[in-house]
Amino acid sequence: MIMTEPASRKAFRPPDEPPADPVATPVPVEEMELVKRARKGDLTAYDDLVRRYQERIYATIYHMTSNHEDANDLAQEAFIKAFQALRSFKGGSSFYTWVYRIAVNKTINFLKQRKNKAQMSLDDLDFNAEHDPDLVALISEKTPRREVGLAELQEKLNIAMQKLSEPHRLVVTLHDVQGLSHEEIAKIMDCNIGTVRSRLFYARQQLQAYLSDYLQ
Amino acid sequence: MSQNTENFESLRHLLSLKRHEQPPPGYFNNFSSQVIARIKLGEVGEERAIPGRVIWEPPWLQRILAAFETKPILAGGFAVAVCGLLITGIIYSEKSDVQPVALIPVTESVSSPVEVANATAVMTAANHPLLAKPAALDASSTSPITAEGPLLGGLRAEPASFTFPGGN
Repeated sequence: MIMTEPASRKAFRPPDEPPADPVATPVPVEEMELVKRARKGDLTAYDDLVRRYQERIYATIYHMTSNHEDANDLAQEAFIKAFQALRSFKGGSSFYTWVYRIAVNKTINFLKQRKNKAQMSLDDLDFNAEHDPDLVALISEKTPRREVGLAELQEKLNIAMQKLSEPHRLVVTLHDVQGLSHEEIAKIMDCNIGTVRSRLFYARQQLQAYLSDYLQ
Repeated sequence: MSQNTENFESLRHLLSLKRHEQPPPGYFNNFSSQVIARIKLGEVGEERAIPGRVIWEPPWLQRILAAFETKPILAGGFAVAVCGLLITGIIYSEKSDVQPVALIPVTESVSSPVEVANATAVMTAANHPLLAKPAALDASSTSPITAEGPLLGGLRAEPASFTFPGGN
């Protein structure tokens, strides 16, 4: 199936916008203070900053790579690079957006290098997955492949994600998995909101085609 | 469009599965401390490595190495070029005829062994700092030269035979 991005895609809006991301709200004073202290070399302050964002940064990289070990290395390196570059942080955006940008650039560079040797090392599903109403509804009698288990679904989903180009995968990860707003994604990816929307639409179309056997 | 939207809805349900993928329990307990440890290690290592880096890892070399890492074809091309140069060098060195250069010029006018010996002695004495004083050596005062054949053309080994008058 050959899919092209529709000409009118810029007008596309997803039916339900995820809740606004916390980073869109004004940066708390405490965070600014931590950044100032970290910039002076205070590692305790930087430790606090890392703890705040480690899970989100790790998750984004993990969903981009589908590999736990790579995500671990890249997330650590992103925070280390952010610390080394703190002096260049002007405070124009929130620290979170800035770190996110570093992590995303690092991940995309890494993915370009590894290209032909992609190997998945997936994290386990947590206990709540079996009780998630969205997933329960998905693995119902309406699903074409009823016999499929969550683990297999997880693998197929990750394979399909890896087939997307990096920018498309990133947009799906940030919006549909991480729940970031279009505006925030545009800041992180350094592009306009229209581009984010069009990439999201196209990426969803592609994923839908790859996973048609598993969708209602 | 509504069908698309509906399908995307179902896709979004499926994508929610990704939110349930979690790293091993306790993974984030040590994450920040590992980052801080690596930062500290890097700072110490950086201080120690600065002189070495300036000598062994200049920026241009790092750029080349990085290019080799990202583009293996570049590294391959470089290796082929180096091998080609090496092979060319070997072939060239084997083919070229090196003419032996005589250290001591031999003139045709010098013919007899005694004259040759004289000439040699004069040249050696003139060149050698310790023997520089005597301007020339008398052929008769030196040890007798009994070598056969041209003296300067190369030394030849001759079988020695001794006969003793009343010996056995």
